[in-house]
Amino acid sequence: MARVEYDDVSKRFPTQDRPAVDHLGLDVANGEFLVLLGPSGCGKTTALRMLAGLEYPDSGDILIDGRSVVRLEPKDRDVALVFQSYALYPHMSVRDNIQYPLRVRKQLTAMERLSKVDRVADLLGIRQLLPRRPAQLSGGEQQRVALARAIVREPRVFLMDEPLSNLDAKLRTHTRTELKALQKQLGVTTIFVTHDQAEAMTMGDRIAVLDAGKLQQLGTPDNVYQRPANLFVAQFIGSPPMNIVDARRDGGALVLTGGWRVEAPRGLAGSDGIKVGLRPESIDLERAPASGAQPAEVLVSEPLGSEVIVNVKLGDALLKIRTGPDVRPDPGTPVYLRARPGGVRVFDASSGAALN
Amino acid sequence: MVEGPGVTTRAASRVARTAAAPRGASWIEALAVHAVFVLVVVFFLVPFLWLFTAAFDADAVAYIRFPAAPTLNNFVRIFTEHDFGRALLNSVFVAGSTMVLDVIAVALAGYSLSRLEWRFKSWITYAVLLLQTMPLSATMVPIYGLARALGLRNSYAGLILIHAAIELPFLVWLMKNFFDNVPRYLEEAAWLDGRSKLRALAEIVLPVARNGIGVVAGLAFLAAWAEVLMMIILIDSQDLKTVPLAFYETLRTQGGYTEVQYGLVAAMGVLYAVPVMALFLMTRRMMVRGLVASSRGL
Repeated sequence: MARVEYDDVSKRFPTQDRPAVDHLGLDVANGEFLVLLGPSGCGKTTALRMLAGLEYPDSGDILIDGRSVVRLEPKDRDVALVFQSYALYPHMSVRDNIQYPLRVRKQLTAMERLSKVDRVADLLGIRQLLPRRPAQLSGGEQQRVALARAIVREPRVFLMDEPLSNLDAKLRTHTRTELKALQKQLGVTTIFVTHDQAEAMTMGDRIAVLDAGKLQQLGTPDNVYQRPANLFVAQFIGSPPMNIVDARRDGGALVLTGGWRVEAPRGLAGSDGIKVGLRPESIDLERAPASGAQPAEVLVSEPLGSEVIVNVKLGDALLKIRTGPDVRPDPGTPVYLRARPGGVRVFDASSGAALN
Repeated sequence: MVEGPGVTTRAASRVARTAAAPRGASWIEALAVHAVFVLVVVFFLVPFLWLFTAAFDADAVAYIRFPAAPTLNNFVRIFTEHDFGRALLNSVFVAGSTMVLDVIAVALAGYSLSRLEWRFKSWITYAVLLLQTMPLSATMVPIYGLARALGLRNSYAGLILIHAAIELPFLVWLMKNFFDNVPRYLEEAAWLDGRSKLRALAEIVLPVARNGIGVVAGLAFLAAWAEVLMMIILIDSQDLKTVPLAFYETLRTQGGYTEVQYGLVAAMGVLYAVPVMALFLMTRRMMVRGLVASSRGL
């Protein structure tokens, strides 16, 4: 149980010319599930490793429960880390792996240790694996053992470095749900690193989006999805990502590429050189011409079972539009587009910052 | 990785067999290859054959012949008349201690070169390797002088320290490569599980690199066991003589070089070679796995 704070933390590796983590500030509440999300090389793992004590920040401070930990050895921080590769000790049985962190606690008897191991093994359904060696386990089983080793300690903070990325797609979705439920049950502050935006959206209480070492946005999944702070977040989150098209202002309206006029959102700061972002589900597709609807031409329809992504050519831009499973216009079909009110996001073309 | 070469050879031989079969020349090729192979094996086995036949021959000669009446008399004589037991014990003690000392030193130095960050590390790493290229006979005189000055002649400490030092550079390099093959995240996990760096090294890194430790221990023991030059220049006390010295002495003193007692020399040779061979056979899986792993890292 702990609150974690990153206070203006920077870290640059000697072999690189830009910082891996650049003035990062974060405040993670007690019991929160925070996801650090970003492309590879964005600094998310470095940020996590600094909290674990495996890297040292060049400047700034990291606090757990209000006390600075940057000068503490990893062993004295009371945080557990689940590695991407699981880092199970190959020369020990699963039981010894799980009780390894307990062995340094002198106040525990061997019986108490083993009963703790059994309890965690039951929680994760791996009791039958206890006598085996890590090499005899499947990837999913190894992942559970790594998790058990972290949980058995009852640490102040769980750190997870892409723990699901080595699982196959089906198991990953399943484990995602389980892990989220488990975290809520245990109530331990968790920082979870991933490059998978779907993982971030489904698991995080809040998401911190990082790019090039800088925090781009910190917010709830809804907030980050609906109101991306800049073009990077807009395009990184969502599958398919937000459609971004060039636009200019014309009085109370925005004129998009291809001459599509949409109503400007209220309170939009006047500016030239703007881009407009529309989520695939923020565009309605109509088959018949209607007033105010923009004509366009279908390039291809991609059926996904529960929904169809219709690709539409608008001027020189390609828009992806999410529709129901029954709407499958053939290539070349003329369609008519309408932007949903409230679904229009405007960005500054040069800085990328959101303007509304 | 380990099965890699085996798989390729098998695949290659399958290809060769199918390709060569229609030509009809394959059995000649096979015969030629095997003949060369057998010749080479015989060439290397002949000395051993002599060693084993002569050791059990009461009046052994300088060529191979099977003893008319096999006897253990030679073995009895080397222990009763030549104090060979003492020499064996000395050799075991010196080689064993050298091994322990080397394993400890090499584990720490190899870990430092593999994992820790310090100035001039790459320079020192290569300097260590450069030391290994120095012929021992070139440094014989300064080592002798140093041993004299430090009072290390005619002492176990001198033999052990000097033998340990001779092998150190190569073994440090070898061990560095073994450590390089141990994933960093394993010891990071141990640190986070509440271990100090030294305990993580002892409890995680060393056990995972145990094949490497085995290879280092084996090579250190073998080097000290088989080394002769340093023994000759450092030891003239009868109490401290090791197997090579006993061997040398027997060869030299039994009637000069003309009337060598081949049976005694051969018996000593058998007892000198067999324990090491037995040790290797017992640990061969570990040694082979370790050596394969080390060549991967180089």
